[in-house]
Amino acid sequence: MDGLVLKGVSKSFGNTRAVEPTDLTFARGELTALLGPSGCGKTTLLRMIAGLEEPTRGTIRLGDTDITALPAHRRKFGMVFQSFALFPHYSVRENVAYSLTIGGMARARAHEKADALLETVQLGGFGDRRIGELSGGQRQRVAIARALAQEPQVFLLDEPMSALDAKLREEMQVELRLLQQRLGITTIVVTHDQREAMTMADKIVVMSNGRVEQIAQPQEVYHRPANAFVADFIGKANFFDGTYRDGAVQVGGVQLRASAQFRSGSPVRVAIRPERACIDDDPGDNRIAARVMFVRDLGPLREYHLQSDIGPIIVEYAAGETGPTLATGDETTVRLPPDALQIFPRAEAA
Amino acid sequence: MRFLGALYMGLAALVLSLPIVVVCGAALNSGRSMFFPPREPTMRRFGEFFVSEPVWTTALWNSVLVAVGAATLAVLLAWPIAYWLWSTGTRLSKVLAGLGSLPFAVPPIVFGVGLGFFWAFAGGLGALWAGVISHAILLMALPLVTISIGLQSIDRAHLDAAATMGATERMIFRTVVLPQTLPYTISGFFFVLVLSFNEFTVIFFVSASSYATVTLQIFNSLRNGYTPTMAVAAITFLAVSVLVFSAVARWGDLPRLMGADQSRK
Amino acid sequence: MSLTDDMHAQGRSAAAAPDGSAMLRRVGLFVLSAIIFIFCVLPFGLVLAISFGRKIDGAGWVWDFTLENYQRFFVGVLWPDEVTFLYLQQLGYSFYFAIIASLVAVLTALPFTLLLTRLGRSAQALWLVFIMASLSLSEVFIVMGWDILLSNNSGLPKLFKETGLTQWLKDTGYFQTLRDWGLANPRNVKFKTSDFATILTMSYLVWPYAVILLYPALSRIDPALAEAARTMGAGRWTVTRTVTLPAIRLPLFGTTLLLFVFLLGTYVTVTVFAAPNKHTTAVAIYTNIRGANLNAPFGAAQAVMLLVAAGVCLYLGHLFNRRSEAR
Repeated sequence: MDGLVLKGVSKSFGNTRAVEPTDLTFARGELTALLGPSGCGKTTLLRMIAGLEEPTRGTIRLGDTDITALPAHRRKFGMVFQSFALFPHYSVRENVAYSLTIGGMARARAHEKADALLETVQLGGFGDRRIGELSGGQRQRVAIARALAQEPQVFLLDEPMSALDAKLREEMQVELRLLQQRLGITTIVVTHDQREAMTMADKIVVMSNGRVEQIAQPQEVYHRPANAFVADFIGKANFFDGTYRDGAVQVGGVQLRASAQFRSGSPVRVAIRPERACIDDDPGDNRIAARVMFVRDLGPLREYHLQSDIGPIIVEYAAGETGPTLATGDETTVRLPPDALQIFPRAEAA
Repeated sequence: MRFLGALYMGLAALVLSLPIVVVCGAALNSGRSMFFPPREPTMRRFGEFFVSEPVWTTALWNSVLVAVGAATLAVLLAWPIAYWLWSTGTRLSKVLAGLGSLPFAVPPIVFGVGLGFFWAFAGGLGALWAGVISHAILLMALPLVTISIGLQSIDRAHLDAAATMGATERMIFRTVVLPQTLPYTISGFFFVLVLSFNEFTVIFFVSASSYATVTLQIFNSLRNGYTPTMAVAAITFLAVSVLVFSAVARWGDLPRLMGADQSRK
Repeated sequence: MSLTDDMHAQGRSAAAAPDGSAMLRRVGLFVLSAIIFIFCVLPFGLVLAISFGRKIDGAGWVWDFTLENYQRFFVGVLWPDEVTFLYLQQLGYSFYFAIIASLVAVLTALPFTLLLTRLGRSAQALWLVFIMASLSLSEVFIVMGWDILLSNNSGLPKLFKETGLTQWLKDTGYFQTLRDWGLANPRNVKFKTSDFATILTMSYLVWPYAVILLYPALSRIDPALAEAARTMGAGRWTVTRTVTLPAIRLPLFGTTLLLFVFLLGTYVTVTVFAAPNKHTTAVAIYTNIRGANLNAPFGAAQAVMLLVAAGVCLYLGHLFNRRSEAR
């Protein structure tokens, strides 16, 4: 059996298009993150995969089977919900065994299996607890165990970490990734948190406004964003709007040399990551006078917020990296190396 | 300021309990007439009410029959309407829920008169079962509201979760919807029970004097003056109400049922 | 977000009913609708239909289409030779008692409910049990209790006399005032029959309802609003006047209206506590349908008029609500 394939899948609610026609392939055993801001259609896409929402158009295939018309309870993809959706009227064990008992498995066997699963998510001995007695992290483990109990072919998670606090979130991301790799199960995670996606995913699908913006591996999404939206959404970036002419971008009165090929006179948007901009005396291209407006020292990294002729620029230095020592109000020069500049086409109106 | 508040609440409680206390005290009178404070206190009237006086024991039995029957019937009627309203929200379901609450919303005397006419034609006037149905219809609004509150409190994600684990709609209903709304259903049942127990106007019209519930019996006796036995009835009814509502407060969320904001304490 | 929520609901119901239960479901819905129509709508239709019927002396009534009963209600049987407003006057007393009693109930229940919502959750539950118990207590018991309390030879009048309060009132001259108000006979204070006793009992009757109806609205007021006002220098009373009251104006009005409609139908209280010349439409309906007169069509016509009056009030209230919400 092969992976999960979406072909031309779209979803409209009345007159609003929640998901534009989308082609996606989820390889067997891989973890894919659907990443995007809220309202970008990623949850709707996930719900269509789960069978909770019917696509307006398009087909969904699992291996050789067309499952587009198959209702959720026949697909039996395990799903972890944002709120975890654990049944408060059942014990932890009964929650985990739910899919088994309603599937007709004998109670004793189902409970045995549930206990084994609880063991897997490090909640051995919690079977008799009530849901209300569990912490957020424990609830999430129960939700994961419950979704895996039916041994689903596809494992879906809808913003699984959003109910957890920041520290626990990072731990659970690692733990979930290890578990997924151990089980080798095809997994799709919906998230708006790029760190979460980068931590867990084999492949990231960046979405906005119901459209897929980029499909790539985590590092590629960061270092080679497909467009300005992705560059902005993943990590931080400085942006300047200008016009491309003969190997350089004209931003205001400043020429920025860049290695890109565009038609002369076309409007472009220039992006540079804060850690790629430099404040140094190296001779080279694209040196711009700037004044330090604000300095922020976060411990692992230090940020200089500059005001230059082409607009505000943020420059970042990691701790231990040799960098300048500047204070608010200092005049300096910022250098934007041509190979660090990413040039995207820009619609004139925008 | 805090003291004034407590004083006001205390005063309200006092006025609220004043007639109740008086009635309770009067039940202890040994003579045939009511005095407060009671003369020669005795518990004999309780025996009369529950055991020895057929007028009262029959009336009590009728009251219980009507109340339990009406509560059961009202819940059975309210459930499908509330469920339909919640799961589809169609216009027709809204109309049905509105019509179902109508009898409770108008002055009871008008509905009582109407039901009196209705049963005269349908052939149930003066029959106990007609009384049961009448109360069920009159008070259906209560389980309709409590069950709707219960259904709305179900997280829709729970239904989706159950579906992704292989549950059909019927299974979801049995394993998620029903257990989570059970407290609300029971609350609705008890609300009807208590209000039917105490209802007077509608049962007055539909009973057509051929049987008497306790409230009717008391009304009939109003002209002949009070007897301490009537006060025993009042105490019994009050005790039932307090018990029922305490149970609802203990096992079902009374403040929430009364519409308090859940998010705050 | 709400759009997608709706869609989820729809998607679910569309995905539902995969088995052949759709037909069964349709039949069930039809039966349910029929039951609701027969029991919840038909009785009101019958009242309306019979109100156009005609009474036959000594033998009940027959179907007809006569406006006689309504004519009688507005101007009397002998119109145009003789005009009587007796029945309109009864409706007037229905309104009079109901308006004052509902206002008294709401105005006294308001501070109580406000205080109630500020208590802890378990204390609130305790109070609610008490309130619900007294709410469900039958009108006949309540009338009985107040009757004992207000009767001339027991309860309060006796208490007045034995504590010497009556004598003190006589000495100070207030007794004459009470007599002018109809609350005293030459020997002692008397509350039966009086408007005072009627209104007292009627407000008592709906007071728990007032609390229950105000409770949701009051418990939903965001305490941060009042706190914000206080940080801007508003005193406790100013907060109540400028923040709390405006926020609950509509529920306050709605509650009064509901209680008023409910009280229009009060029967036992009025028969026991109101003077016979101040009896209300509700009493007249009883007398006509189950009592001495046995004039079902006229009773039905009065019930219709009571319902119309209530309906008009509710409609006006609805208009008023809409207008103040639009502002």
